Amino acid sequence: MLNRTQVAALVFRRLALIGQELAKPELVQADEQTRLFGQASQLDSIGLVTLIADLEQDLREATGQSVQLVNEKALSRLTSPFRRVGLLIDYITELLNKPA
Amino acid sequence: MPAWYLQRWEKFATKVAFISEEATCTYADLVNFYQQAAATLAQLQLTEPQGFALMGDHGPVSTAWLFLLQEQGHWVVPLSTAAGDHAEKLTQVPVHWVIQTTATQASVVRAEVAKHDVIATELTALRHGLVLFSSGTSGRPKIMVQDLPNLLSRYESRRENHLRILVLLGFDHIGGLNTLWGALAAGSTLVVVAHRAPSTVLTALAKYQVNVLPASPTFLNLLVVAGEWSQYDLSALRLITYGTEPMPPSLLERLRALLPHVRLVQTFGTTETGILQTESVSADSTFLRLVDPAVEWKVIDGELWLKSQTQIKGYFRQTSNAFTADGWFRTGDRVEQAADGSLRILGREGESINVGGEKLMPVEVETVLLENSQVVDCRVYGVPNLLTGQTVVADIVTSATAAPELLRAQLRQLCRQRLPRYKVPTQINFVSTVSGARLKKTR
Repeated sequence: MLNRTQVAALVFRRLALIGQELAKPELVQADEQTRLFGQASQLDSIGLVTLIADLEQDLREATGQSVQLVNEKALSRLTSPFRRVGLLIDYITELLNKPA
Repeated sequence: MPAWYLQRWEKFATKVAFISEEATCTYADLVNFYQQAAATLAQLQLTEPQGFALMGDHGPVSTAWLFLLQEQGHWVVPLSTAAGDHAEKLTQVPVHWVIQTTATQASVVRAEVAKHDVIATELTALRHGLVLFSSGTSGRPKIMVQDLPNLLSRYESRRENHLRILVLLGFDHIGGLNTLWGALAAGSTLVVVAHRAPSTVLTALAKYQVNVLPASPTFLNLLVVAGEWSQYDLSALRLITYGTEPMPPSLLERLRALLPHVRLVQTFGTTETGILQTESVSADSTFLRLVDPAVEWKVIDGELWLKSQTQIKGYFRQTSNAFTADGWFRTGDRVEQAADGSLRILGREGESINVGGEKLMPVEVETVLLENSQVVDCRVYGVPNLLTGQTVVADIVTSATAAPELLRAQLRQLCRQRLPRYKVPTQINFVSTVSGARLKKTR
């Protein structure tokens, strides 16, 4: 299973690709504090859905498992995992390493 | 006095009515089959209208029975050999007899299914009826009863021609029946193929020097994808009519480039209203005009409404809100109306994708995706998404061997340039084939 460093590498790679596509240098040079969705964020809702679909695909390829990033639980968290890059990395790592 | 079509068939006598791999049949043969059917029917000594399941494919025997039965007030449930759902259908419509037809023979047996009780009002509805099934967007098949003599009378004005027409749609489909009736009213020759594989159809087009091909955009796309046009002699082909689903403009362009000598004409119809007379705005346009004197039309909230003289008598043992109290039929087809009043069919109401409250039709996105030369075929649909309600997904068949990542980015870029943000696919899958007919009503 992927550890946090591996997940972070995967997320940053994907953000860089989407940043290029959308011509958003902030995403290409993203760090853990970069805001993804919500106030002063880099992505609109379609952008976020795209990022999530891409990440799910990346994770499927990396782990051989189907991973659902958006679910009721994720959306009902007090701090949305989609707010900042670091939170998203935490969330994915947690999701992957959770006992089945 | 024999019916108008019988008089015509007698006059066309030596012309060929049907060509298939098994048999060739002239109009005189067709009249013979009709007389044989009439003799068989007389032996049944029926005193009141009854139901007949008519099984088979396009051919002189099935055709003879179809015309004969409606004349005598019976109702007909045509069942195409290719469809495997006969038993299911026959539990829903009362039939007393099953006629199994081949290209040259018919056998009539009593229906095995438990006899249904038909109440008087139903009998009135079924008399002279043609019973057709269509799967609505809601999934449950709709059972429709057309008034067959009324429907057939629309074809009487056809003038004689000498065209060879290939019929693809089945004997149980309003589009296939429209081709059949139009051809037989005009003394054309119908070419019947055993199955619809691209190579079979192309072989028949060449071998029988077919002039007219009515087809769906999905099927035409298959032919293009198969890439075999050039190996066949299609010099006789003059006209392709397309309908039953929206034509992506980029496919129309490809067809025009591949077959510069062929005229491409859009048709439009529904089982509920019959096939309408239409005109394409121009050869390179997917807009059409409804010019049928027997049909009124209007567009309500982006949906096409029709009022036709060949409207169905009703749905059988089903309720539906498809018809308004004053007789308008809500087609369920989303249309775009140009300033000059012409219409472009966008797709089915039920197929619209709702992204965060904004609606789009798959064809809008498919049209753009197909502009990329590496996209061979594609299918766009919505999937549920917790963030936006639904999200747009595209399945792509590609000829590219390069990294899918690259093509994915290119396609998104293309969509972003051409479409509003919410219509851009959030997920692009590369697949070997896309299933189902694009925006087809019977999905």
